[in-house]
Amino acid sequence: MKEWIFTTDHKRVGILYLIGSMAAFAVAGLLAMAIRFELTWVGPTLIEADTYNVFLYFHGAAMILGFLIPGLTGFMANYLLPMMIGAHDVAFPRLNALSVWLYWFGIVLALLTFVVPDPPDIMWTGYAPYSTQYSSGNLSFYVFTVHLIGFSSLLGAVNFLCTVIYMRAPGMGWNQINFFVWTILGAFVIQLIFVPVLATAVTLLLLDKYLGTSFFVPSAGGDVLLYENLFWFYSHPAVYVILLPAVGALMEIISTMSKNPIFNYRVAVYGGVWGVVLLGSDVWAHHLYTSGMVDWVRIGMMVTTLIISVPVGLITISLVFTLYKGAIRFNTGMYYAASCLYLILIGGLTGIPLAMSSLTLHLGETYFVMAHFHFIMGMLATFALFASVYHWFPKMTGRMYNEKVGKAGFWLNFIGVNLTFYPLFIIGVEGMPRRYFDYEMFPQFQGSQQLATVGAILVAAGIAVMLINWIYSAISGEKAPNNNPWESASLEWTATASPPGPGNFPQPPEVSADWTPYDYQPRTAS
Amino acid sequence: MTDGHTQHHWEYSMFPFILALGVFLGVPLAFASFFQYGSGLAGAVFGLAGLLLIVIGIAGWTSEGLAENSENGYALTGLPIFIVSETMIFLSLFVSYWMLRLTAAQWPPEGTPHIGVGMPIFMTIVLVSSSITYHFGEEKLDAGDNSGFKFWLQVSIGLGLLFLGCTLYEYNHLIHEGFTFGTNAKSTAFYAITGFHATHVLLGLGIFVSVLIPALSGKTNRTFTGAAGLYWHFVDIVWFFVVSQIYFW
Repeated sequence: MKEWIFTTDHKRVGILYLIGSMAAFAVAGLLAMAIRFELTWVGPTLIEADTYNVFLYFHGAAMILGFLIPGLTGFMANYLLPMMIGAHDVAFPRLNALSVWLYWFGIVLALLTFVVPDPPDIMWTGYAPYSTQYSSGNLSFYVFTVHLIGFSSLLGAVNFLCTVIYMRAPGMGWNQINFFVWTILGAFVIQLIFVPVLATAVTLLLLDKYLGTSFFVPSAGGDVLLYENLFWFYSHPAVYVILLPAVGALMEIISTMSKNPIFNYRVAVYGGVWGVVLLGSDVWAHHLYTSGMVDWVRIGMMVTTLIISVPVGLITISLVFTLYKGAIRFNTGMYYAASCLYLILIGGLTGIPLAMSSLTLHLGETYFVMAHFHFIMGMLATFALFASVYHWFPKMTGRMYNEKVGKAGFWLNFIGVNLTFYPLFIIGVEGMPRRYFDYEMFPQFQGSQQLATVGAILVAAGIAVMLINWIYSAISGEKAPNNNPWESASLEWTATASPPGPGNFPQPPEVSADWTPYDYQPRTAS
Repeated sequence: MTDGHTQHHWEYSMFPFILALGVFLGVPLAFASFFQYGSGLAGAVFGLAGLLLIVIGIAGWTSEGLAENSENGYALTGLPIFIVSETMIFLSLFVSYWMLRLTAAQWPPEGTPHIGVGMPIFMTIVLVSSSITYHFGEEKLDAGDNSGFKFWLQVSIGLGLLFLGCTLYEYNHLIHEGFTFGTNAKSTAFYAITGFHATHVLLGLGIFVSVLIPALSGKTNRTFTGAAGLYWHFVDIVWFFVVSQIYFW
């Protein structure tokens, strides 16, 4: 126990992040099942309307703040980044430990939602004036959950930026670092600049509710749109905090498994990653097209929202063309990675109509929006995380997972998510509003809701199979045949043991000027 | 496969966990007990327990860091990176203030007493002096004069306390005139922005104290003192924006 609670080693901190984020995922996932069962039949069935609102709140807050952001930045960056750049640890190991425990206490605080008499019911967005004036829910728990996890993320940002600046292996130039390292840099730059804005926004909620200030009280000269703007000024870029490490990990997996160097590495880095970081800061108003704003802002933000398809497209081109003429090995990690190419396509294409302010009048606040962002966050990013755990499983545990069980879990998950969200796209276009507890005015949607519930049951089974596979294989799986079972050329595979010991590298690595982490033998065209 | 274990050993520190636990008890739980559940007793218990753990955490962390005496100087890059975040916090507060102010029908709104500029001018002088005195201290330290450093550091802490005293005096004065948090849009912006800045001064003083205590027994670290100074200068610079926006506009 003591070795884990007081550890400052980046790999153990990374595992702690993984455990925390999977716990948040499990709880938030169970709540999603409860929500889905409630919606399976018209009329109130399983849970109370108030409980439903609390579940919606917790599902959103825990999935985004507790699972996706810490899972894709905290866990992945901690476990992989120092080894990829040839460092023995991060720049500030104790700060790293503080960061993971602040995050864990953030999760504990969020879980207290289910114990306190007045749980927050304010969605993960906490919009004023409902959260400050009308809800009796415990706003302070929401605010401090954001603070704890946000501050943990800021410490991570400082730590990893310094780590990459100072601790690369001797000889490793900026164009030689893994694509994943670039995406982590991009994600943490976003966190560094935008998290404080969210922290301020929720702090102002706290001041309004408990100290009587009037930032969001229109009668006293405040403005509720101020909150929406501050909130989405962070929370849209947060999507890229999740997306960037996800595509970064996919790029590593696809390159390794197809034994090809990354197609257009520099374009994907400087155009793709940094294009997303740059443009991602100027699209937030598309979350409040219908809340009221002047036309030039609305139209400007529509243009920037559409333009952001370009850097995302550049990354996608690299993902797809890295496969071209590769010797592709389809294991479970690669199954998940390959399915992500499809998910990014559907998730991306359904974003385009939502970017258009005229179409949003119809599609906004319907199941269409909900299905769209679940395709990106709930599936693309989540599958990328699962792909990564499978891909780096031999590295983390020194053992192999069970391939057959892994693939069975994949098919359950993949068929399940499609079965869940396609019907929701369709009824969304037909007008089913999101967040409703009951849909007695739209009984024609019951069939689609039931299909979605069947899909959700498949996903639950798939996740259970996957978790059992991970836990069983980590304890008593077959020993990995060597330190590098996928024959990767990246430093975390070639130069460390599996699992790596303290200090990672038996000999501190040095790289030459023509070294790359994607140095695969060129093969003749067939 | 176990080669890696021969060269190094696993690194531990209990203080990050203690600090995180202290923050958890001392901030969210104390706040929620007091404001959401109206229990002053529970709030005080959580607050004090949290504060105690935070002090233990910081003291232990500092002594560990000084014992290692690593001079890699990463912190002198890390702190400016962190200050980017801090800048964004103040920027969002100012944006909120501008939005309140520029959409208001009348400014200052009904019920705002006269807020004099004499006090902020005095406070500016105090805070700028404290930055300069800390700089003197750093120069003494570079010259190897540890007692000179301690002297100027204590002067800086004294000036910081004087600044906070002025803030409290002014708040007390304004609240007696009926200008409280909830009075109007002006009071909202005034207390939020000056209060937030004062909190940063308090934090900076906390850092100074944790530099001072080991310095009293002769332990200093140039990276640590440099970082503390950098943070203090940042807080000082923010004050100019606070004064110009809140008092002189």
